[in-house]
Amino acid sequence: MNRTSTAGRLWLGVAVAALLCFTLFPVYWMVSSAFDPGADHRGSAVLPSGFTLDHFRYVFDTGEFGQYLVNSALVGVGTVLLSGALALFAAIAVARFQFRLRTKVLVMILVVQMVPLEALVIPLFLQMRSLELLNSLLGLTIVYLAFSLPFAIWTLRGFVATVPKEVEEAAYLDGCGWWRMFSSVLLPLVAPGLVATSIFAFIVAWNEFVFAFVFMQDDSKYTAAVGLHRFFGQYSTDWGAVMAGSTLITLPVLVFFVLVQRRLAGGLAAGAIR
Amino acid sequence: MAAELTRKDPERAPAPAGAPAGPRAAAARRAARLRALRPWLLLAPALAVLAVLLFWPLVRVLLLSFQDYGLRQINTGESNYIGLGNYREILGDSFLWRTVLPNTVLFAVVCVLATVVVGTLVALLLQRLGRVWRIICSSVVMMAWAMPAVTGTYVWVWIFDPLNGVVSGGLDGLGAIEPRETNWFTDRWSFYAIAALNVVHHGFPFVAITVYAALLTIPRELPEAALMDGANAWQRFWNVTVPTIRPVFLVVTILSTIWDFKVFAQIYLMPGGAGSNPEVLNLGVWSYIQSFSRNQYGMGSAIAVLLTLLLLGITVAYVRALSNERDHL
Repeated sequence: MNRTSTAGRLWLGVAVAALLCFTLFPVYWMVSSAFDPGADHRGSAVLPSGFTLDHFRYVFDTGEFGQYLVNSALVGVGTVLLSGALALFAAIAVARFQFRLRTKVLVMILVVQMVPLEALVIPLFLQMRSLELLNSLLGLTIVYLAFSLPFAIWTLRGFVATVPKEVEEAAYLDGCGWWRMFSSVLLPLVAPGLVATSIFAFIVAWNEFVFAFVFMQDDSKYTAAVGLHRFFGQYSTDWGAVMAGSTLITLPVLVFFVLVQRRLAGGLAAGAIR
Repeated sequence: MAAELTRKDPERAPAPAGAPAGPRAAAARRAARLRALRPWLLLAPALAVLAVLLFWPLVRVLLLSFQDYGLRQINTGESNYIGLGNYREILGDSFLWRTVLPNTVLFAVVCVLATVVVGTLVALLLQRLGRVWRIICSSVVMMAWAMPAVTGTYVWVWIFDPLNGVVSGGLDGLGAIEPRETNWFTDRWSFYAIAALNVVHHGFPFVAITVYAALLTIPRELPEAALMDGANAWQRFWNVTVPTIRPVFLVVTILSTIWDFKVFAQIYLMPGGAGSNPEVLNLGVWSYIQSFSRNQYGMGSAIAVLLTLLLLGITVAYVRALSNERDHL
């Protein structure tokens, strides 16, 4: 493959350019519109007509967007903590122990992952309604926990399995109990996996729309994704402001993705194949 | 596995021949029981959450689909079974067959094909690039992946905005269209073309990164041997690359299928997608609107059950194909 001809190089260049354009254009258009003072009448102007922070200021002052972002962050962090703990225990069980029904449990977790969550909006809405958890961030956190759990278990299973059994056995020989072995040997070794699944769980919670849209009836409880929607309708499409809000929602996810890109891809592939 | 466990247990509980059921044996037996119980203790919280929040709602949505469940039932908590009434109404309605099902299935098929083709092409491109450009390109691909569905949808809507969007502005500048008379969101085909662009843009990075990771696992000797035999690039791809990483293709195809069948936000948030234009409803949005806009929760549940059955079929095919694959290898 080193003997690339000039024509081949040219094609490669064209392909790279096409990829960059297709991939980056929406991101560029979003960010540049967010800072463009004349965003609403931008048309096809490739460069923004100037630079302003007005859209961001407007979004925070009028749209209560700060509150929405805080809500999203709270729900995200709650989901991460809960799903991290539960998934790690479950992953150790399926990766480290041989027991009856083990394969069945694993397949069940995989199949559960395929359930269309949109189909569960109605029963979960009724369930949360009778538990009086509808308009609460806690209720939303609990639901997101269920969504991120199957994937987290599958991914962490791979990470736990890569820790050599001998390391654990050495800890036992040194007189550690199971709990001690877990906290000072296993936990540090699977920490990278925990980080990757945590970020995934956070992104699931941060991006989710349907459930937040159905569950949250009170303005002050909206998550950012839902808040943006309300904002959209109420001010008859102020595109500069919508793009500013979108930028604020996208930025943390973008940073996280770039941080864990390798691990996430590997984990996804491993979780799906094995 | 089970046999292994039972075989080991007697060895671990040392029962001296002369003293059966001594205190030591009892303690050992208790330890063995604890050992057998431990995986279940570890699994219990996760399984409980999945049971309460995924399994029970799944049962419940099935039960609801056989009921005429409206505001009255919500407030009183009564059930109101009507048998297969909801299904009869939905399946007998030409709206399902002419509009909703094509919107769901055709859209998913097109999106999956486009996603897998684009993703594979990008993976092959990544493989041919030098180190620096590969890092640049894969980071950029990650950015497309990172864009949340909600904001991504808004950006595409803004790009195609009939009055001030970049596309209509550009075409107007070329004299190709009259912006005030063009609205791509009212026509079913152009609506779904824009939705497809959105979904493919969001979905191809997963395929690209996964297939690229799989390409790295192909032993160098294989394509080189094919090259020696005089195979061209096209033949090498179809006869060497594809068979070697077939399981990966299978996985990305099925996962993309499942994701594309149940798109919700990408349709709902587009102009007219929230029910004002019935032409563009898909199964997910239709179910939502029947329940939460019209308060016909039974009907909405029946639609949700249909969607679930559709996806269940795909999942079964997935698990089957995967286990076949494992038999071959």
